[in-house]
Amino acid sequence: MIFFFLLLVLVLTAQISELFIPALPWLYDAHVYIVPVIVFYGAMALPFPLMLALALYAGILLDALTVQVIGGKVEISAGSSILLYGVLAGIMHGLRPLFARGRWEAHCILSGIFTSLIVLAQYLMITFRRGSFVLTREIWWQIGGPGLIAMAVAPILFWLLQWIGRMTAYSYGPERGNIE
Amino acid sequence: MSRTNIIALLIFGAILGYFLSFGPDMTQKFKSGVYQLLAPFLTSGSGLKKQITSVSTGLKSLDQLEHENSALQIENRELRATNQGLRDVEHEVNRLRNALNYRQRSVFKLIAAEIVARDSSTWWRTVTINRGKRDGTEIDMPVVTAEGLVGKITTVSSNISLVLLASDENCRVAASVEGSREQGIVSGERVTTGLSPLLDLNFLTKQADLKPGQRVYTSGVGGVFPSGLLIGGVKSFRVRELDGQAQLTPAVDLSHLEDVFVVTGRR
Repeated sequence: MIFFFLLLVLVLTAQISELFIPALPWLYDAHVYIVPVIVFYGAMALPFPLMLALALYAGILLDALTVQVIGGKVEISAGSSILLYGVLAGIMHGLRPLFARGRWEAHCILSGIFTSLIVLAQYLMITFRRGSFVLTREIWWQIGGPGLIAMAVAPILFWLLQWIGRMTAYSYGPERGNIE
Repeated sequence: MSRTNIIALLIFGAILGYFLSFGPDMTQKFKSGVYQLLAPFLTSGSGLKKQITSVSTGLKSLDQLEHENSALQIENRELRATNQGLRDVEHEVNRLRNALNYRQRSVFKLIAAEIVARDSSTWWRTVTINRGKRDGTEIDMPVVTAEGLVGKITTVSSNISLVLLASDENCRVAASVEGSREQGIVSGERVTTGLSPLLDLNFLTKQADLKPGQRVYTSGVGGVFPSGLLIGGVKSFRVRELDGQAQLTPAVDLSHLEDVFVVTGRR
């Protein structure tokens, strides 16, 4: 449970830190997203109920920061990020046995792909609201860029979180299903 | 699937359903509430970022000193650190002096505010300011600098507010062009790259034929933005199938904002 609460604190810290990390001009102003990587790590490390709780928590935070109410209209419904995190973390959770055997590569790559999927889903939702569907090179980079960055930082973050897990005596059993 | 997992899934679904059922008012309250909780972190994070930036600038100066005489290094380091501190103070004094001057000569009633955080999302252009309901800010109040229009407030909590920048596609401003009878709607572009985003002035007549450098001001139509605020200058004009469209360079450098003013009314 200590590890789970530490993940909650890390998600909050990362979410606030993202507000102070500028977009990368050399990558078409792609943003750096750290929270999805932490959530996806949690999806592999935590049992199913706690994984859902983490996805819910991260989704609420992301919703609060991204949902825009302009002129009495909501552009993206509150809850959409919760749904996105829930589904993607659920998929990641399904790959837990592989992770428990010490294979991280697939999860690092998937963390990047899923991060881009979150940005893509947001883009599709705003496009649906605003109309005029456009996909320029800049847009592709702004969708793909965060994924590439997430893929690059995932091994370091996974290693760090694994270390925190060891420090808090958290054990990752492949058959683990109960809340500690 | 175990019973615990099914119960967890049901609770998750119920909470998700609750959030999805939010209307605009509830969403606004939820957003304000979370911002209220995050306000202390955002304001202290902003201070921390300033300190880190200041330290890193100082370290750059130290790097340059590596090639100099070793005996002078320590003294030089101290002098540069002091100098850096003084430069920061000078910059701040100039910034505040300009802000004070603008506040005194402006025809609007203004509340001075500082940017504490920038947007972390890819698709929205927003900044967070350190003024909220407690200071008198309200939703839809325009935000300006001495140079011109910045945007409008979209979310207010008790001590911070969220400002939608003029460079966001959703920030639509009724505008008129200097030296012509042309009127149109200014909005940002969906995707912007580079340091200075451009604005689009739509719904002009095909005959508008705007020239680069012509200034564009708020027209006051719509009631959110008062008339006479400078939005930007014309960069280019093109005729489309149904109307004319101009690209504008914003009057305000929206990527390097530090201090802004919230317009609460006219004097």
